Amino acid sequence: MPEREAELWTTVLFNRFLASPLDSFLTAIGHPPADPAHPWENWITMEILVALIIIVLFALLRSKLSVERPGKLQMMFEAIYSFVAGQARDAVEHGSSKYVPFFGTLFIFILFMNLIGIIPGFESPTMTPAVPAGLAIAAFLYYNYMGFREQGIGRYLAHFAGPMPLLAPLMVPIEFISHLARPLSLTIRLFANMFAGERVTITFLSLTYIFLPAVFMGLHVFVALLQAFIFMLLTMIYVGGAVAHEH
Amino acid sequence: MTRKLIFLAVAFLLLASPIFAQTPGGGGSDLHLPFAYLAMGIASGLCGLGQGRAVASAAEAMARNPGAQAGIRFALILGLVLIESLALYTLVITYVAK
Repeated sequence: MPEREAELWTTVLFNRFLASPLDSFLTAIGHPPADPAHPWENWITMEILVALIIIVLFALLRSKLSVERPGKLQMMFEAIYSFVAGQARDAVEHGSSKYVPFFGTLFIFILFMNLIGIIPGFESPTMTPAVPAGLAIAAFLYYNYMGFREQGIGRYLAHFAGPMPLLAPLMVPIEFISHLARPLSLTIRLFANMFAGERVTITFLSLTYIFLPAVFMGLHVFVALLQAFIFMLLTMIYVGGAVAHEH
Repeated sequence: MTRKLIFLAVAFLLLASPIFAQTPGGGGSDLHLPFAYLAMGIASGLCGLGQGRAVASAAEAMARNPGAQAGIRFALILGLVLIESLALYTLVITYVAK
């Protein structure tokens, strides 16, 4: 009997009420769960919880939007929006406003997922390799799709050949591998940072008392913010590279 | 002096050769962990050196050109995160090699 990780309260709730829909879904796609009474795992329920929190927050924001008298929530999100849009304008030369929704969603989602792990009783979904992998695959598909849409399939694929047609046999494998390495590095960067943050805190908690683990948790907050920003920034750079028109 | 240090380092590494006298039975998985620790140490050390160089040149650039601080700070943070991720790849391999 494989060991099951300690379940959070959200996972317990999901397993009690929603176990059978997930069982039938998993069996339908060919991966029946190992333990049909507990198909939900911590990371997926935490991810759903974070998504629900973000939806509720933005619904609340939407209802309070006002042009004459902006409240604190509106001003905070306007600052976040202008930050993301400014970065997008720097990274993607033309037409950055088309891509800002995706970048902003990535940033806010990853930020909330990273930060929720600091609250006791919750766990960062980004601590499991599956969640950053999903985000990286989404970013990979997005920037390739935007490249195809902006430049047409033929011209986008011609970019892989490099600057001169003579160099194509050398450049195509190199470009191909480096493009495949991008979602891999995005995944590992986000996963390893969050996982290492938790491990370091736990290690120091077992060694000393309150002060030193708290310092490491503070560092973890900073790293969480930074990693969300870096994921968004790298996606912007990839999209910028994919849609750039050579003049 | 450099050659003496390199010789000393290789001599220390060869000092660990009794480990090859392990019986082949339990030798496989036991050998991964010490090398993983060594790899992590080397990765962290070299990434520390790289980040030190990045910070040093960023600080000097900001001192020479205080008007460009925003751009230099941005390049610094980006560079530090990318170098950091190299050390973290080794950390992931340390866990995979168990």
